[in-house]
Amino acid sequence: HALQFKSNPEYKPALELTDPEHALHYNNFYELGTAKSDPFQNAEALHTDDWKVVVEGECTKPQTFDMDDLLRIDQEERIYRFRCVEGWSMVVPWIGFPLSKLLEKVQPTSKAHYVEFVSVLDRKNLPGQRFNLLDWPYKEGLRMDEAMHPLTLMATGLYGKELANQNGAPIRLIVPWKYGFKSSKSIVKIRLLEKQPISTWMEAAPREYGFYSNVNPNVSHPRWSQAKERPLGSFLKQKTLMFNGYAEEVAHLYKGMDLKKYF
Amino acid sequence: MSQALKITLLSLICSVPAISLIHRLFTDQLGANPVETLEHFSGDWTIYFLLLTLSISPLQYYFRPRWPIPMHLVRRVLGLSAFAYALIHLSVYFAFDMGLSFNDTLVDIAERPFILIGMLAFLILIPLAVTSTSGWQRRLKRRWSQLHKLIYLLTFLGILHYALLVKADLFQPLAYLSLFAALMLARQLKGLKRN
Repeated sequence: HALQFKSNPEYKPALELTDPEHALHYNNFYELGTAKSDPFQNAEALHTDDWKVVVEGECTKPQTFDMDDLLRIDQEERIYRFRCVEGWSMVVPWIGFPLSKLLEKVQPTSKAHYVEFVSVLDRKNLPGQRFNLLDWPYKEGLRMDEAMHPLTLMATGLYGKELANQNGAPIRLIVPWKYGFKSSKSIVKIRLLEKQPISTWMEAAPREYGFYSNVNPNVSHPRWSQAKERPLGSFLKQKTLMFNGYAEEVAHLYKGMDLKKYF
Repeated sequence: MSQALKITLLSLICSVPAISLIHRLFTDQLGANPVETLEHFSGDWTIYFLLLTLSISPLQYYFRPRWPIPMHLVRRVLGLSAFAYALIHLSVYFAFDMGLSFNDTLVDIAERPFILIGMLAFLILIPLAVTSTSGWQRRLKRRWSQLHKLIYLLTFLGILHYALLVKADLFQPLAYLSLFAALMLARQLKGLKRN
């Protein structure tokens, strides 16, 4: 597919873009291996033919979408900051559509309070899934208002092209005010739920990875500070912004919540 | 070939990884996260040289190789190489992670067990490096070998420092730990045989 998209001027901040080489060669995608260079090297192991995304659960019109269906939704380009929980960051142009547009198609019921994202499971081909380092398939979740927020994107492309396998092809989530691991890659199922789901990293290390995982320079990871971040390609660090610089858009979602408790 | 020349040659061989790293630094080949690359590379080589240092005695006991220079000199060069790579590791951390701030470093040590453990390992390595010369060996007599037994502790702390850093994949630190355990076991068996 050649991606058809329009640049969205609302999301075109005056920030220097990360070198695409870095975004394509330095990835966390444990399904393809745990070293940063593994996902690029093992990219072929991810098979994206006939990809389908099931949307089900608390909704009146559960449906299965193929990539043609999903690419029929207007695709737009947005430049977002991206902050990994490990302390590195980048600024990249994603292509995709707001998740809300997809969820509206299935008509969530009043009981849909949370959304769970399930990533690809292919133990035969994905080298990282031959070991149970994590409880495969990878699962993540959002609260319904976070999922419906206009910033929350389903991404199908990066730097003007279709997503590369190592970046989570053919379709992934992007939640720019949360640490990168919340932005699930290679999604096959989206479930609308009444109760808060348990994400894969919460299950693996509950003390270190919470459900919210909002970028927050004031709350340290148990093993390192989150006050600063290193942009990819740079030697020096810069200050991390509250909600990764999206406080104006999202702070109201967490009004009255103790963000140290709900990390 | 004179002994001094052989020692210089061995030291040069030990600095090959550092030279390759400097080459990558100046040709922009350290990747997307150059500081992380420098830290992981120098940290790995610190552990490799510690394990190599620890393997000299078991090698001598089980295989009795003909050393090109006296065994204790081989061990000294390997041990000092470990110190050199640890110094690079710590310097990169202090310069680029801590921005040369002693205050930030103290906070980091206080808040993060893996940093504390790494610092402890380095602190223990300093007196071993300082007293590695023949002069110190003579002056300290029996105390010298007692002092240098601290390499067992600091190697373990170094591996623990690494294990506490990784998110989920413990394969590499566990591989180092297994090698360390094997070398310690080889020493124990040697002791048993002697008795």
